[in-house]
Amino acid sequence: MSAPMIYQKITKMIVILLIFLCAPWLVLSNTSEEEIGEFFKSGHTNNWAVLVDTSRFWFNYRHVANVLSIYRSVKRLGIPDSHIILMVADDMACNPRNPRPATVFNNANQHINVYGDDVEVDYRGYEVTVENFIRVLTGRLPPSTPRSKHLLSDERSNILVYMTGHGGDGFLKFQDAEEVSNVELADAFEQMWQKRRYHELFFMVDTCQAQSMFQRFYSPNILAVASSHVGEDSLSHHVDPALGVYVIDRYTFYALEFLEKAKPGSKKTMGQFLKVCPKYQCISTVAVRTDLFQRDPNQVLLTDFFGSVRNVEILLNTLALPNITLTSDTCSKSSCGNEEVSSRSLKYADQFPMPV
Amino acid sequence: MTDEDISEKEKDTQAYAALGIGLICIVVGLPLWWKATEVYRVQLPYSDINGLSEIPLTYTAEVQVVCFDDVWTKRILEISQLLQDNLSKTTGTEIKANYRLSVRERTTEELDIFKQKGSVPDLPFVDDELSKSKLVSGDRNKYYIFLVPKLFKLDYAYIGKHHNILIRPLNDVTELVKDISGIVKSYVIHEDSVEKSILNAKGARSLKPDKESMRSVRYNPGYDITFTLTVPQPDILDVRWQIEEAVTAYIESMTNKLTEYTSFEIKSQLQYFTTFQSKPKYDESLKEYYYQEQNLPQLINPIESTLGTSSSNNPELNFIVYIPTRDKSPLYIRDKNGNKVKSNAFLSPRWGGVMIYNVPEFNSSAALPYLVQVDMRQVMEVFVSQIRLLLNVNSAAQLGSKNVVFEPVGVAGINDIEIDVWLRNRCAENLATSINTLQSLAQLLGQISNIVIKDDIGSEVETAVESIKNSQKLLQAGNLVGAFQASKLAIIASEKAFFDPSLLELLYFPEDQKFAIYIPLFLPISIPVIGSIYKAIKHLRGSNKAKKD
Repeated sequence: MSAPMIYQKITKMIVILLIFLCAPWLVLSNTSEEEIGEFFKSGHTNNWAVLVDTSRFWFNYRHVANVLSIYRSVKRLGIPDSHIILMVADDMACNPRNPRPATVFNNANQHINVYGDDVEVDYRGYEVTVENFIRVLTGRLPPSTPRSKHLLSDERSNILVYMTGHGGDGFLKFQDAEEVSNVELADAFEQMWQKRRYHELFFMVDTCQAQSMFQRFYSPNILAVASSHVGEDSLSHHVDPALGVYVIDRYTFYALEFLEKAKPGSKKTMGQFLKVCPKYQCISTVAVRTDLFQRDPNQVLLTDFFGSVRNVEILLNTLALPNITLTSDTCSKSSCGNEEVSSRSLKYADQFPMPV
Repeated sequence: MTDEDISEKEKDTQAYAALGIGLICIVVGLPLWWKATEVYRVQLPYSDINGLSEIPLTYTAEVQVVCFDDVWTKRILEISQLLQDNLSKTTGTEIKANYRLSVRERTTEELDIFKQKGSVPDLPFVDDELSKSKLVSGDRNKYYIFLVPKLFKLDYAYIGKHHNILIRPLNDVTELVKDISGIVKSYVIHEDSVEKSILNAKGARSLKPDKESMRSVRYNPGYDITFTLTVPQPDILDVRWQIEEAVTAYIESMTNKLTEYTSFEIKSQLQYFTTFQSKPKYDESLKEYYYQEQNLPQLINPIESTLGTSSSNNPELNFIVYIPTRDKSPLYIRDKNGNKVKSNAFLSPRWGGVMIYNVPEFNSSAALPYLVQVDMRQVMEVFVSQIRLLLNVNSAAQLGSKNVVFEPVGVAGINDIEIDVWLRNRCAENLATSINTLQSLAQLLGQISNIVIKDDIGSEVETAVESIKNSQKLLQAGNLVGAFQASKLAIIASEKAFFDPSLLELLYFPEDQKFAIYIPLFLPISIPVIGSIYKAIKHLRGSNKAKKD
């Protein structure tokens, strides 16, 4: 081999090596640029989620598992508890028939306890009524309602509404006594739209004949998906022999499978999410409604609804403030108040009278 | 009289009785049922509500030009005419600006103030002194423009803390007029921002995001401000902050000025053992940790869940001072270009701000926990700027240019011109919002027939309509504070009317279910009644025929 040949070979190798070294950098710099561009692409500044399980009794264990699984996913993707309204009609974790108290599982393998350590249920048991649900959506709550039970969304909020329970053509049963009809739901969403309570809304429902729930919607910027067509039943996924009940519904199961793979900064789109659970998996046909929605779902990030990617702004200029020496009084407002309180004699409250 | 006649008569009586009962059912029963099941609705002033948006909005501001040099005092009339022409050229489509202009000669008192400090005027001093003198009253919405005498060297326009604007000496009258009207329109009144706040309140849901409207909170009669000091390792650092004193020193001057218009509830808390979940990157060469701009959104959520919730329903603004853990400090924020951000802080729209506060390095052999005192000035510089951004106080620093210089706001937090702008913008925004709310309510009542409207809602709606009209009038008359207070009443009343819990009383009662209730009730009664009426009519017709025969 002559010297020039060796020289050429070495230069070639160096070039290839350089390309290999640089490739990850090129990819990295590309994605970071995309991300910055996306921050102001969507017009929302905050995310809210209203997650509703409408059915009670032990044999409806799977509905509670459904809603808690979704709750867990959106929380993991970044929606804080203060922005999630969770309505659970029955307390499965504390049901006397639950062989594993204080847990709720969505899988027979019992991998994940969806009840977890910090579940903040905002409406529970008999508080889950059609009236309360509509009141939460429209904001017409009595003045005494605590902040955590309010949907305090504004015209820059993206809202996820997830419902699960037993339904029929045009209604979804709440508890055992009443039902919400698709007309009422459509009216409630219209009232929200009129009062600028949402920017975009994603409605997701897992129930029999679920498609009927969104057929009457007429307000703009709503994207809706349902687990089954009108005339079809939605089916449960599998039974846990240890619990003796079905633990999750098919549509929610496959939706979760998709969501579990997403990370907070995920690039997955709503378009992909809407294709989840094809007929061979769900047995029922997943119905989608996109005509009210103004963007192309394939261009909408999953985290626009299922997570909370905030817009942030770096503070470039600050005001110049003079240096003031802060003199702390020996007796500030709060500490003085405390002393007065402590000077009062304290006594225990009377004990609750107990039957002997 | 035969038996036949008697039975015929009896049959007649039966027929009349049946007809009588039928008649009672129709004449009394039907209207009674109709009345009893009617959805109660107070008559609302629908035409007034629809007319509200048709009234053109105008606001008036008072501008007084004070001439010093003889060159100008001779041409007062010319200046005032040219200026009036220039100022009345407005571009707004939603709201029109109107200026009440007067041009006058300076008084000796005013000249003395200028001359007091020699040929280079001490501008803040002049500004203060002018506001003290009786000729310049401190009313809102009144602006004094001083054409600085030629003997002073000033090559820019100066906008003071109060309502005084000093215009640099110029030779040409058209140039002067252009200068004045430009400054008044874009730096004093902010015509664009008034227009923008109406558009935002009206059509904020257009998909085009606008940074300012996205960032700032909407007007509310009250806000909750919470300052949180987050110390992840209290076992290593004993961090103290004088938050109460700092709030009194730096924040209260601002909130006190706004307290007439909106209230602030300020709280502070200390949070231990809470850390940023996402890991910062490490810069070997500078030996520092940093977050890039795209990492910042993920920092807030884990901290937010621990902040606790407030008991009121007012919008919350959170301000967090984060002390980095010892193994991750110093910690900085870098912008898109990789430069260190000087303030080391960022804000999240409509939520609040976060500042990373690096504690000075200390000897590793020092006794733990190491005492650290937070420099409150540094913290407050960041938070006052962020509060101003979040409340949409039009920041002077953002808009200043080389020809226009603002007096720095300093410890006051907000100056008089900014308060005026804020009031004008919020007033316009409130008017647009409450008009929108009332119109949506009216529209919904038309669409959804089940909504009940009680008397008190009717009166709230009336109050709102009244206040809106009042506010529009006052705004046009130039009474800014009055207009704002009326718009505040309007927005409170209209929100209350829209969100009243009683509006939902009958909402979950669909039409088709009414049938299910009425049929078992009415069918057993109506079948015999209708049947006997039919029989009676048949019988009466038959007997008429028989008589004719």
